[in-house]
Amino acid sequence: MRNKITLFSFLIALVQFMNVQAQERVISGTVISAQKSMPIPGVNVIIEGTNKGTVTDFDGNFSIKAETGDVLSFSSIGYKTVKRTVGSNDQINVQLEADLQALDEVVVTALGISRDKKSLGYATQEVDGEDLTVAKDQNVIGALGGRVAGVQVTGSSGASMGGTQKIKIRGVNSIGGGDQPLIVIDGTPISNANFAGSAGADYGNLGQDVNPADIESVNVLKGPAASALYGIRGQYGVIMITTKKGAAEKFTVQANSTFSVQSTYDFMPLQNMYGGGSSLDFRTLPNGDPYVDISVDESWGPRMDGTMVRQVFSFYPQDPTYGQLTPFVPHPDNIKDFYETGYTFNNTVSVAGGGEKINFRISLNDTKIEGVEPNTHLDRNNLTVHADADVVDKINVSTNFTFARNDAQRPGQGSEFGANYLVQWFQRNVDMNRLRDYQYEDGTYLHWNLSRPSSETGEVTDFDPLYWNNPFFNAYENLSQDNRDRFFGDVGITFQVLENLSLSGHIRGDLYTQNIQERTAFGGKSLPSFYIGKFQNKEFNYEFLAQFDEEWGDLSLNASLGGNIWNRNYTYLTMATVGGLSSPGFYNIDASIDRPETSNYLLRKQVRSLFGLVSLGYADTFFVDASLRNDNSSALPDDNNSYWYPSISGSVIFSEFLDWDPLSFAKARASYAQAGSDLSPYETTMGFGVGTVYEGTNTLFVPDNLNNPNIEPSFAHSYELGLDLRFFDSRLGFDFTYYEQKNKNQIINLDVSGASGYGSTTINAGLIENKGIEVAINARPIETGKFFWDTNLNFASNESMVVELAPGIDVYTYSSTTYSSVTSFLNSYEGKPFGSLVGTAYQRDEATGQILLGDDNMPLYTDETHNFGSVLPDFTGGFSNTFSYGNWRLSGMIEFQGGGQFFSRSKMLAVRTGQDPVTVAMNDRGANVRDPLDQGGGVKVEGISAETGEPVSAYVNARSYYRNVLGRRIYEEWLFDASYIKMKELRLGYNLTKEILGNFPVESVQLAVIAQNPFMIWQEAPEGIDPSAISTGAQSISWYESGQLPSVRSIGVDVNITF
Amino acid sequence: MKKYIIILLFCNLSLLGCSEFDEDINVNPNIPGEASGTQLIANAQLYLPSLSSSPQGEFLAQYLAETQYVGVSLYPEGSTNFYWFYEGPLMNLETVLNSEEDLNAAEGPVANQLAVAKILKAYFYWNLTDRWGDVPYTEALQGNKNFTPAYDTQESIYSNLFALLKEANSQIVAGDIDNDLVYGGNMEKWKKLGNSLRLLMALRLSEVDPQWAQDEFNAAMADGVMNTNDDSLVFQHLADANNQNYWYDQVVESNREWWALTVNLVEEMKPVDDPRLEVYANPARESGEFIGMPYGETEAIGTEEYSLLGSDITAQDAPVYLVTYPQVLFAIAEAAERDWVTEDAETYYNLAIEKSVLQWTGSTEGVDEFISQPEVAFDPANALERISEQRWIHLFMNGYEAWSEWRRTGFPNDFVQPEGRPVPTRLAYPDTEDFNNADNFNEAVERQFGGEDSIYGTVWWDE
Repeated sequence: MRNKITLFSFLIALVQFMNVQAQERVISGTVISAQKSMPIPGVNVIIEGTNKGTVTDFDGNFSIKAETGDVLSFSSIGYKTVKRTVGSNDQINVQLEADLQALDEVVVTALGISRDKKSLGYATQEVDGEDLTVAKDQNVIGALGGRVAGVQVTGSSGASMGGTQKIKIRGVNSIGGGDQPLIVIDGTPISNANFAGSAGADYGNLGQDVNPADIESVNVLKGPAASALYGIRGQYGVIMITTKKGAAEKFTVQANSTFSVQSTYDFMPLQNMYGGGSSLDFRTLPNGDPYVDISVDESWGPRMDGTMVRQVFSFYPQDPTYGQLTPFVPHPDNIKDFYETGYTFNNTVSVAGGGEKINFRISLNDTKIEGVEPNTHLDRNNLTVHADADVVDKINVSTNFTFARNDAQRPGQGSEFGANYLVQWFQRNVDMNRLRDYQYEDGTYLHWNLSRPSSETGEVTDFDPLYWNNPFFNAYENLSQDNRDRFFGDVGITFQVLENLSLSGHIRGDLYTQNIQERTAFGGKSLPSFYIGKFQNKEFNYEFLAQFDEEWGDLSLNASLGGNIWNRNYTYLTMATVGGLSSPGFYNIDASIDRPETSNYLLRKQVRSLFGLVSLGYADTFFVDASLRNDNSSALPDDNNSYWYPSISGSVIFSEFLDWDPLSFAKARASYAQAGSDLSPYETTMGFGVGTVYEGTNTLFVPDNLNNPNIEPSFAHSYELGLDLRFFDSRLGFDFTYYEQKNKNQIINLDVSGASGYGSTTINAGLIENKGIEVAINARPIETGKFFWDTNLNFASNESMVVELAPGIDVYTYSSTTYSSVTSFLNSYEGKPFGSLVGTAYQRDEATGQILLGDDNMPLYTDETHNFGSVLPDFTGGFSNTFSYGNWRLSGMIEFQGGGQFFSRSKMLAVRTGQDPVTVAMNDRGANVRDPLDQGGGVKVEGISAETGEPVSAYVNARSYYRNVLGRRIYEEWLFDASYIKMKELRLGYNLTKEILGNFPVESVQLAVIAQNPFMIWQEAPEGIDPSAISTGAQSISWYESGQLPSVRSIGVDVNITF
Repeated sequence: MKKYIIILLFCNLSLLGCSEFDEDINVNPNIPGEASGTQLIANAQLYLPSLSSSPQGEFLAQYLAETQYVGVSLYPEGSTNFYWFYEGPLMNLETVLNSEEDLNAAEGPVANQLAVAKILKAYFYWNLTDRWGDVPYTEALQGNKNFTPAYDTQESIYSNLFALLKEANSQIVAGDIDNDLVYGGNMEKWKKLGNSLRLLMALRLSEVDPQWAQDEFNAAMADGVMNTNDDSLVFQHLADANNQNYWYDQVVESNREWWALTVNLVEEMKPVDDPRLEVYANPARESGEFIGMPYGETEAIGTEEYSLLGSDITAQDAPVYLVTYPQVLFAIAEAAERDWVTEDAETYYNLAIEKSVLQWTGSTEGVDEFISQPEVAFDPANALERISEQRWIHLFMNGYEAWSEWRRTGFPNDFVQPEGRPVPTRLAYPDTEDFNNADNFNEAVERQFGGEDSIYGTVWWDE
């Protein structure tokens, strides 16, 4: 903390210093088109190396405060950028030439090699840092959602606080579904690991330790063609992040502050007619008083008509309502009432500058989040530094590093945690506000779900919760705490041997310590316990790279040769108490009543690599690239641990041969590449498991997974064709890609018949073939005077086919979930699309397709093997728009998905427990379905009798139907289409320019109102289930939800000040 | 660091040596690379209580009625997984049996380690086949040599298990073994267990193949079966959460008052003042009386008015009785009744009850009086029924075994049919076999049950 304050004071001092030094004056001028001599509106005028800038007006005029020596950069889509240095003249007029070659964009490609975008033979799509911070998403992965064609981001609700965001590039490329791209920041591969399970606290993906505000741009290398140079780590694509750097001769200080509030919305609608219990009549105490059946966690009870009854609170002698009758009425918002308004306060200060020989940028971020779930918070700090210096002639040393700190108390995900179970199991009559004070003064905990009162005394004798804790008890007593300290970055040296030959060496590191603690308190449903884990990762890359550039007339050559050693050392130590804790409030392994469970683990792995890249260009029109990488992995069998990964790509800029005015640029490209993915260490040899210790006898067992000494790394072959077209002076751009990726030799733990002695075995299996298209369209459809409209549409469609599994195996179970002895599966079948949802369906009459009914007129269901088809979406994409008018700017980002499906256990159980409105619907006889059958009640069931084959139309008891059949057995009923269109981000900003600010000692101020996940525009799934946030924690494929956290919208203000 | 730079430069310049890593870098330091035979056997023994401690077994034998989640006690169709038998105990035992030359005699004679592994293997397989019918045997437990093992017929499995137990019997030599959680390494007891298993397995074949049954029965008796309660196979739980009783975890720790004793059982015991009743059950809290709950309620029901599981049964360190001396005595009584042996049925019947009371209550006080009651006393006219009913009372909480005896003998003959559904006659195979081992699975289902893997198929010995 002290260091932080010191740094901050230092920054303030710097700001003051700058204000004294600056000798600024107003520079003005006009920008016109060189060809047509017409004024160009909307040209960005920026002082290089700063964020200070302005935009030309309708007449092409601009004015900006600058000082002598500042370099003004004039840029506009479709024109070549022009730079002017401010001299003594206050007037600078500029002519811009149309850029018929399209933009000379430079992109950062694999291994950090900067390349001319037009020379690349594969698709890349860059995202500006600015676009990642539109709504201040804290997680760079989350911020990428919808921004890049073919990149799908899934994750949990904002309520998880820093929860996991997962990214899939071009569909599912591994049978195990766990394919995640490599994240590389300024050339340093960093871990995007995840310590969360599919339930409990979601500690988030580690990639979020990058501060989005430090990002200059992100380039997504979508497939092997782009990522082949990462060889054995490149199969699933690479996210290349480039951070902001300082600029020469310029010193800037920027401060950014965002305050936003988070609120929950989109709760599942529930009924408010019938309360807790299992029959329409109240139970009675010995004195004749009716009471609510507090032992039932369902809402199949009596009608909530205001009858005076004993409710749960009245059984606590400590409660003011002890012994009293209170009206039995609904509490419609009793789930919503649990949540609070959360807030996020995010501050970043950065200082950037440089001189002739040095260049630096330092930024410091502090973020505080209070969650929507009570008693949850997340504090984060990031310190990011870039510095480089020409220490002597031709030798440059540089460093980039980030120190990141996270400290959190997070909510649990899934139905066993917090308040997430309430939509599944609750009484509609319970007043959540009464539960808030969850402990009486004498220490007794208040719960809502207890054993019934004694039929003799009418008193409750056991105040231990029966099935569920008071959710506030969960929130305040059963805490999950985590913190992480992390350091990643590099030091490097570059020797410019000749003008066209440079040699560089880097050492890159990623080190973190993750601590996790979980408490289960006395007084709740579960045995008190304590868990603590410490996880340490040390990852280093030692890298050498030689780069050579040369041009001979029309011929250009780029060549790189390098080597890399990747070394990983990862350890953890986890401990958990067993048999309870020795004294309340003492959370320590020492408090374990029985021998605690402990585990210590060491992982060591090394990959040694060599690589080379040659790129030839002719007349800036024809380009050919070839690369080759050799990887040697210590995790592979000794005698077979070396693999080669080649790639070749080519492109031709055919607009050079076409003389068609509207077409400003056209490029065709094609590529073929191979990349791979490795396995974890120790997977090639067998050992034994350590079993329970029984009175000093340490038992050992044969593990359930059979390792394989002949395992090979998996391989992807990728083919890609693309077309990049720009029209009307590049105001309309169109980028199209078709790809095929064949993923072979997937390393999976294949489930086998347990009768073999093993539950699964590690094998190289199968072939997943992905085919798809990606379309990115960007345009500026309107450009009049002060008004501009920029639009971007990303669209991708992918099909993942499981062509082969393993010999003799035609199904692979990726995951399964069981409730009340009924299981559903996510399976992959040979010859079918990846990821079939499998479970129980209605039995249907073959001829008519009608539902078959049993003797009791209840629907019959199949076994658990009915295939409902793939869970993967047909297409995904994003649509972003920016409208600018003068200093105003409105941006919005819409994310969408078509197709895909998932199973909702929350919905199923809401119906099973009589909470869903369908369980109180009116039937066509005009009675409530809950009314007795002989009074016209009951659910109308239509189908065909399985026995007689005759059509049946009958009324059945609602509770038996929903609770025992539909809500428990028939999963077909609870599958929902995952299509949605979501407003993901909105931002309305206003730029206070120097003219407006006058003599105020700041350069520019940007004010904005921002919103994250403000609303769902449309979804196919029923209200209250967010199809865009159904996967929890580390679950890599979204296919079922249970106890989803509520949806959270965030609305705030953002202030950006540049000094 | 220097090392890596040297490797880096060396690799780059020479293209050689890049694939040579430190020898131990890929050797897993986190798990043992070797296991001793007795440690593997000990781990298999940890699975013994799982053979008995399960609500499903208690429902099938109608010892317990479900008070809350009643659906599970209404005999729903649905698969029951058997993979844990194979992946757990059987694979450990198979590993011992396949590594004879690696076994360490310092832990006790190798022959004895092998014999114990065989006896346990037979016991687990016996349970497996009795519950499901045909199961993989000869092709099972072969790892990557066969991931889709064929199903052996129950008949052949019985034949194999008899042979296995005979091998065990004949190879046992003097000398205790280490790490034995159930008999403390005492080979005499293992020998008697193995032969008692043969005896009980033989009896199981009384209906399907009486001659074979009789032959095996006599052979087993001749080899020496249990002759004291101390010989019984009992898994002793510990007062330690790592080794605690399933019912403690459920009832005491998780506060689940889900199980009450059935009317059937209480009404069998209460009228005759069976001394075991107060061990089996606690009196109902409402009345202080022993009151059974009707089996197969279709709605959740109060737990105040019925007798829940006895505190001894739900103790953290409760014993789990698996194969007991009284069972052997009942078997001999029944064999006598069937004229397979010359012993006196009544003597063995009375002794069986006495030893059962001793097992459960720790005392035989008043046993003679208890037995002399007409409802309890040996009844030559209904000998099989009497033996079976008393055996059922004795086998309390060993539901699967009691259910097998019910399937074989039809006694007790007053089991309830909840909602008209009869008591199942087998367990359905795991659904996952249909994914993982479809051909063999389908063949087995076709062969035994005409294609329908139902809980109402009958296994081979269940004529």
